[in-house]
Amino acid sequence: MNPFWLIGIGILQAILLLLLAPLYSGFARVMRAKMHSRTGPPLMQNYRDIAKLMTRQEVVSEQAGWIFRVTPYLNLGCMFLAAMIIPALTTASPLEAAGDLILIVYLFALPRFFFAVAGLESGSTLAGIGARRELLVSALVEPILLLVIFVMALLAGTTNLGRISTEVATGAFPYSLAYLLGLAAFAFAAYIEMGKLPFDLGEAEQEVQEGPLAEYSGRSLAILKWSIYLKQLVLVALFLALFIPFGAMAQLSLIGFVIAIVVFPLKSVLWYFVAAVLENAMARNRFMSAPAIVWMALGLALLSFVFYLANV
Amino acid sequence: MTSIQFFVLALTLYLVGALLSLFVSPRTLRLGSGQASRGVAAFFGLLASVSGVIAVILALTADAIPTLTLFSLPPFGEFALQMDLLSALMVGIICLVGVATSLYSFTDAPANVSVSFFTDLFMASMLVVVTITNAFYFLIFWELMTLASYFLVVWEFDKKESAKTGFVYFLVAHIGAALIMVTFFLFFGKAGTFDFAGIRAAGLSPVMKDIAFVLAFLGFGAKAGMVPLHFWTPDTYAAAPNHISALMASVMKKTAVYGILRFCVDLLGGSVLWWGFVVLTFGVLSAVFGAFYALSEKDIKRLLAFSSVENVGIILMGVGLGMVGLALPNSTLAVLGFLAALYHMLNHAFFKGLLFLGAGSAITATGTRDLNQMGGLSRRMPWTALTFLVGALAVTAIPPLNGFVSEWFTYQALLNAAGSDLFALRVFAPLFAVLLAMAGAFAVMVYVKAYGGAFAGPAHSKDAAFAQDPSISSVISLVYLAVGAIVLGVGAPWIAPRIASVAADFANQPLIAVSAGWTMYPGNPLVSIVSTPLTALLILGLLTVPLLVVSAYGGWRASRRSNMEPWSNGYGYAPVMSVRASSFDQPVKVSFQPLYWIRSIVERPYRAITNFYTAAIEAVRGAEPFVENTVTRPTLNVVETAGRWIQSLQMGDIRLYCLYIIITLAILLIVLFGGSGL
Repeated sequence: MNPFWLIGIGILQAILLLLLAPLYSGFARVMRAKMHSRTGPPLMQNYRDIAKLMTRQEVVSEQAGWIFRVTPYLNLGCMFLAAMIIPALTTASPLEAAGDLILIVYLFALPRFFFAVAGLESGSTLAGIGARRELLVSALVEPILLLVIFVMALLAGTTNLGRISTEVATGAFPYSLAYLLGLAAFAFAAYIEMGKLPFDLGEAEQEVQEGPLAEYSGRSLAILKWSIYLKQLVLVALFLALFIPFGAMAQLSLIGFVIAIVVFPLKSVLWYFVAAVLENAMARNRFMSAPAIVWMALGLALLSFVFYLANV
Repeated sequence: MTSIQFFVLALTLYLVGALLSLFVSPRTLRLGSGQASRGVAAFFGLLASVSGVIAVILALTADAIPTLTLFSLPPFGEFALQMDLLSALMVGIICLVGVATSLYSFTDAPANVSVSFFTDLFMASMLVVVTITNAFYFLIFWELMTLASYFLVVWEFDKKESAKTGFVYFLVAHIGAALIMVTFFLFFGKAGTFDFAGIRAAGLSPVMKDIAFVLAFLGFGAKAGMVPLHFWTPDTYAAAPNHISALMASVMKKTAVYGILRFCVDLLGGSVLWWGFVVLTFGVLSAVFGAFYALSEKDIKRLLAFSSVENVGIILMGVGLGMVGLALPNSTLAVLGFLAALYHMLNHAFFKGLLFLGAGSAITATGTRDLNQMGGLSRRMPWTALTFLVGALAVTAIPPLNGFVSEWFTYQALLNAAGSDLFALRVFAPLFAVLLAMAGAFAVMVYVKAYGGAFAGPAHSKDAAFAQDPSISSVISLVYLAVGAIVLGVGAPWIAPRIASVAADFANQPLIAVSAGWTMYPGNPLVSIVSTPLTALLILGLLTVPLLVVSAYGGWRASRRSNMEPWSNGYGYAPVMSVRASSFDQPVKVSFQPLYWIRSIVERPYRAITNFYTAAIEAVRGAEPFVENTVTRPTLNVVETAGRWIQSLQMGDIRLYCLYIIITLAILLIVLFGGSGL
């Protein structure tokens, strides 16, 4: 494919993800309300929240320095970059040269680092506790992501995301038990990273992973919230690109583009639907019991690796 | 001038700086009486380091290997300095960091004659260690390096703790040196010479090679501070002056890794598979435990010391993978592994030097090493905070900074190994990659804790509330190291091929392509491709675009009120409410309780014994790694008498033992030069 066109598609898909992200979160909220037999917020409520917060006055703690101010923009920028690299509409990576899977995993660490420091910088107790919890969850999840990525990379012979995606989409990839278990483990890990029950309730502030939000307000809060919605969708896109890239364009064509732009939102809505059902089937848990559950995901990933070794 | 002439100039300048610093200060030995010495040592150190850097640049572009044979002494062999590509890289690492520490020590080193003298002597001895081509002289200068650093560690000799720490360091370093010495005698017994060229050609029997490998690896490994021989590093770095901690962590450790490379790979051939596995395994253990222990530290220098243990682990992983590649043989894996190790050595020198110097500034400004007593320094010390942040991002391998590049190559080497036919590698390489990822995730926590504890939030002490950035020369040295860390990351596509050629030359393997244009790849662009400059540009672009939009749309501080206290559930806010460094790692302590539980079980009999030694008890601290508690402390008691003897030496005039060394050197030189007929 023409790299020039690919970059265009990359920017386009990143903007698409950016615009869709609040909608999907809204969809998850509506789902939850329906399952609770509540009326719930309108589907578009998140957009309204963002628009309103953008115009609101900002109150910032006097302890906060420049990291606190820059973090919302950095978070959004990094997620936007990830959205440009991950193949969503195409099977090849739109920005292949920028980085591979390992870079994407480590790229997530940059906003996380700033997010946690911003939490500490605000001087608030709740923000500080949120920061350390956020980091612990990632420390538990990152090895799982990496193990599954390694299994996929070994099966495909490359850590280039676009190549793996293309192989899986075209059937050149060995769909083994290792692939299925890897799929399950990665989905589990992505689900945790997205900040869902039983680990988190992304909607209430001072909760686990959104703890550092406690001191944000106004425009910064709007951008930070938006970037969290985008992060959730980017994780879904990463999962889909690795395991279920069917329907994405292999060659550049108008029909392919139309199919891709219809199929991708459908696939991701399906993910949000399943996630919402799971989430509401679960009880809130104490944060410190999270590691025990995360080990299960690591067990799945290890099993996938064992099946890869056994060539099943 | 040629490369080797610049190199000799660097050595000479270091020695001149050391000697002059002895005589320019008044004869009293009060603290602060040595400003002139400090200035002289720093000035000559700076000139020498620059000269060394020039020597390296010339050596890398030279057609022939720059060599200088000074003399030859029959039983011991030739005294020759040689800058092949590996040695040139090592000299580069030493001198590039030397520039920064010299600049820093103009105003922020202790104004002390002995510290000034030994700093320059320490640098000079390290330069000889990495260029000498004879095992006998290697050992002499290795010993000189150890002694110089020992005297730097015990510079506050009137403190009881300092003497104890120094003694542990002295003991471990000499046990290591003894192991290395035995290796050399094994070589000598077979080859009949100490010259590297002769040893290389000697052809030891496989069993002898195995023994030599184990001894050399343990000897150098102790000096490199790998787990489980790391226990001396935290106390030693904490006791040494700040710029010396930086040098010991970022440079002296690398000379030990150089020793492993030179002796285990170059001289012994490195073609035995299990050697590579041993190095790789020790590397992984060091990486994981180093990161894990670092997290539970609240003393910023001890935290950085454990983080150095982690990074030595990552370097050893690269070395181990390279050795496995040599043994298989798989030349791509060999070059990738050594490339990852050498690149990480260079990177670690920059960011760990930066972190130690930055931490040193914070310690000087607040008068404490305790992260709980700092806080809020970013407002008072913007330069230190900014550069420390760059170092923290680099050490946690966040793209596009330099730590990411070398870890990425380590991952690619692991992936290459995982694809080999050897079942053990297919099993362990991916698992080791997972452990590396775990260490990386812990490292993020460690450095959020370090930066957050020291520089963010409210000030936790009076000193922290009135802290100041260090002097202009120290700020320049911090900025220089930070810029280096950025350049080594963003410029990786242009730097990696040069280091790959060093790795290929050293491993004697065909060179593999690792970059094209703006991108890097591990030998084959189909396997993976990554571009740090592009990532850097995109991140900067994606950061500035929204900021520009914001400034156009109401401005940066539009309708912002920032004089508010943080929300505290409706109560009045007090700084003690913020999360401090020592409460930051609480979730980890709870979720990884089994590890602590194991440690407490192991410590139980030890505690029962130590109850009889009330004197030793005060030194036992709760959160020590168990090796330190079970191995070192009992040894300490045994040698306490010897320690007293050492202390009595230190009580004497400091010039006395400076004099000892000079006399020894002079006699040595006279004997050696006399022997060569000059």
